[in-house]
Amino acid sequence: MTALQPVLAVAVLSPMAAALAVGLRVVLGDDRPSERWVTSVIAAGLTLSVLGDLGVIGVFTGLVGPRIAGEIEFGDWLRLGDFVIPGVIQLDRVSVTLALFSSTLTALIARFSRTYLHKEPGYIRFFVLLGVFATGTQLVALAGALELFFAGWELIGIASALFIGFFHERDEPIRSSVRAFATYRLSDAGLLIATVATFELLGSARFSALEHAGELPPAESTMLALLFLLSAMGKSAQLPFSGWLPRAMEGPTPSSALFYGAVSIHAGVFLMLRVWPVLAVSPIARGVGVAVGLATAIYAATVARVHTDAKGALAHATLAQVGLILAEICLGWTTLALAHLLGHALLRLGQYLKAPNMIHDTHRVGHSHPGHGWIARVAPRLAARIYATALHRGRLDDLIDAIFAPVLAMARALDRADRWIRGQASLEGRR
Amino acid sequence: MTTGLALAAPWETLAVCLLLLVAPTVAVLHRPAWWVLAGIAATLTASLTVADGATAYAIAAAGALLHAVHAWQWSRTGALSLVAASAITAAAAGALSAGAGLAAFLLSAIAIAVRTGVPPLHGGVSSLCERAPAVQTQQMSSTIALVFLHLRFVDHIPEVAGWAPWLVRYGALACILAAIMTLAQRDLRGFYRGTTTMHGGMLMAALGAAALGNFAAALLVAVTVGLALGGLGMVITSLEERVGPVQYRGPGGRAAAFPVLTACFAVFGGAGVGLPGTAGFVADDLLLHTLWLQSPASTVAVILGSALIAVATLIGYSRTFLGPATPSVAPDLALRERAVAVLLLALLVTLGVAPYVLLVPADAFLRATIPAA
Repeated sequence: MTALQPVLAVAVLSPMAAALAVGLRVVLGDDRPSERWVTSVIAAGLTLSVLGDLGVIGVFTGLVGPRIAGEIEFGDWLRLGDFVIPGVIQLDRVSVTLALFSSTLTALIARFSRTYLHKEPGYIRFFVLLGVFATGTQLVALAGALELFFAGWELIGIASALFIGFFHERDEPIRSSVRAFATYRLSDAGLLIATVATFELLGSARFSALEHAGELPPAESTMLALLFLLSAMGKSAQLPFSGWLPRAMEGPTPSSALFYGAVSIHAGVFLMLRVWPVLAVSPIARGVGVAVGLATAIYAATVARVHTDAKGALAHATLAQVGLILAEICLGWTTLALAHLLGHALLRLGQYLKAPNMIHDTHRVGHSHPGHGWIARVAPRLAARIYATALHRGRLDDLIDAIFAPVLAMARALDRADRWIRGQASLEGRR
Repeated sequence: MTTGLALAAPWETLAVCLLLLVAPTVAVLHRPAWWVLAGIAATLTASLTVADGATAYAIAAAGALLHAVHAWQWSRTGALSLVAASAITAAAAGALSAGAGLAAFLLSAIAIAVRTGVPPLHGGVSSLCERAPAVQTQQMSSTIALVFLHLRFVDHIPEVAGWAPWLVRYGALACILAAIMTLAQRDLRGFYRGTTTMHGGMLMAALGAAALGNFAAALLVAVTVGLALGGLGMVITSLEERVGPVQYRGPGGRAAAFPVLTACFAVFGGAGVGLPGTAGFVADDLLLHTLWLQSPASTVAVILGSALIAVATLIGYSRTFLGPATPSVAPDLALRERAVAVLLLALLVTLGVAPYVLLVPADAFLRATIPAA
C-alpha cells in the first residue's frame, strides 16, 4: 500500500461520505437539520476532496515525494474465478487535471449556493446531490477501469436528472427531468454494452487494456468505438440527443452552471479522450464523430442566435463548443481538445452564474440588434426558413417523440392485453 | 460428508432470507400468524442446510404452502399461485429423488418463474404486488432460498446445458416486454407489479446463464431483487397505509409531507435499477458479463429492459412524490419503519461495496458441494 492510496480514497469518497452523513441524519429522525450544519458537512467533504486532489497532483508531478503515475491498485471490487471488477485508479495528465478541476469547481459552486439557495425548500436535497455528483465526477476522472468509470457516470446522470427536477412544484421541470434521464439511460446502454464487450474481447475492462484495441478485427474495434460514441453523444447532448439540454435549464442556476456549463456536459467528450486508443483504430467511428460534432455545432450555433432566454441561449452556445471539441478529438487533436474543454468549461461556468444578472446588465448597458446576416441578404426566404427551424430547435423533441411513439403504443397495447388476461384468470372477484 | 455440509451451510444467504422474512412484520401491518412465520423460518433454514436435494425441495414446497396460507387473506389468486408453485416444487423434489435431473431442472425453473412473476406466469405475483406488496416481499425471502437450491442441486446437471440458452432467451424476452409494459402503468402498484415481473425475467436469464457454472450472478440478482424490491414493497405499503392507493393523476406532491419515505423510495428504486454503490450495480454488471457468454442479443435486451425500467422508476417517483405539496395529517415513516429501511439499505450498500461478503462464501459452498462445478 502506497501513501497515495488513502489520499486518493479521500479525494473520491469524502463528498459521498458527507452526503451519506446528511442523508442518514434525515432518515434517522431529524427531518430539518439546519442549513449551517448541512453546508458545513458537505463543504468539509468537498474541501477534503480538493485537498486530496492537490495531494495527488503533487505526487503525480513529483513535487511531493517520488513521482507516482499509472495504475494505482485498490484490490478487487469483486473477484470470482476469471471474472474481476478491479478497483483501480488511473493517474495521468488527463485524469489528474480533470479531477482537480471538477473538485475545485464543485467546491466553489457549493460556496456560491450557500447564499444563493438560502431558505430554499430544497436546500438539503441540493447539497446532498452535490456530494453525490462530486464523487461521481471524481470516479469518472480517475477511474482506471470501465466499471468504475460507469459507476461515476451513472451517479452524474442521476444527480443531473434530480437537479433538473429540483423545482418540482412546476410540471415542466419534472417532465424535463424524466426526458433527460431517459436520454441518459438509453445512451448509457452503449457504454454498458461496450464495457461488457471490452472485457470479453480484450480480457479486461481496464483503460490500459484498450491499448490492445488495434489487435482486434476492424469490425469489433469499430463496434466498440461506435458504442462509446453513442454514450458520449447522450451525455454531451450531441445530435440527435440535444433536446434535453435546453430543458435542463429548469434546474437551479448553480447546478446548471456546474453541470451544463462546466463538468457534466463535458463528460461525454472526456470519455472519448479516455477511450482514444479504440477511436484511433476506427476511422469509421472517428468519421461519424466528426460529422456528429460539426452538425451539432452548426445546429446549436443557429439555435443560440434566435433564443430569447439567457440560459437557453447559453445552453446552445455550450453545445456548439462541445460539438467542436468532439470533432477535434475525433480528428486526433486530443491535446487541443483538452485545452479547449478546460477553457470552455471555465468560461461557461462564469456565464451561467452571471445569467440571472443578465437582464439587469442589459438594462444598464443596453443591447444592440445584431442585424441581418449575409444569408438574409442573399437568400431571404432561406433565412426565414432557417429562422423558423431554429426557433423550434429543429423540432428535435418531436423527432425523438415520433421515434418512441410506437414503443409507447406497444406498452399500452401490452398492458391492456395483460390486464384483460389477468382479469379473466383472477379469483378475487369471486370472493 | 453430509454432516460437514450441514455445518457449512450458506449462512450469509440464510441471514439475508431471514432478514427479508422478518422485515415486513416489523415495518408494516401485514403480519402473519406467529406459527406461520416460525414455520416459514424453519423451512428456510432447513431447506438451505440439508444436503439432500429431494428433501430440500420438499421442505421448500412446504414453505411455499405456508406463504400461501398467509397470502390467502389478501389475494386468492396470489395464494393459489403459491400453492401451484408449491406443487411444482414438490414435483421437482420427486423428479430429483427419481434421478430425472432434466425434469427437476425444468420444474424448479417453472416454480421460480411462478414465484418471481415471470410473464406469462405472473398472474399470482401480480395480484400479490397489487393487493399486498409486503406479502410479496416476504415470499421473496424463500424464493431466494429456492434459487439457491436450484443452483446447488439442479443447475449443474449435464443434460440441462442444452436448455440453458432457451432459459436465457425466455428471461431476456420477458424482461424487455415487462419493462415496456411498465412504462404504460397508471398507478404505483402497477409500477411495482411491472418492475417485479421485469426483475423476474432478469433472474430467469441469470438462471439460464448459471447453468454454465456462473452461480454468483444468479444469486446476487436474486438477493438484490429481494432486498431492493422488498424494500420498495414495504415503502409502498407504508405510503398507502397513510394516503390510500396512489394513482398517477398528475404530480402527487407527497415529498413535502413524507420526506423520509420519499428518500427511501428513491434509494430502493435506484438499487433495483443498478444505482452505483448498491448491490444492484454489481448484480447488473455481473449478470451482463455472464449473459454475454451465452447470448449477446439477450444481453442487449436485458440492458434495454433495465434502461426502460429505470425510466419507469423515475416516472413513478415523480408522479408520486414530486409536484405542488399535498398536505397530509399522517406522519412520515415511524421509527420501526425507518429502522427496517435503514437495515435493508445498509445491506444493499454493503453488498454493493463489498459483494464478496455474500458471493465468495456462497460460491465456494456451491463449488464444494457440486461435483461437476
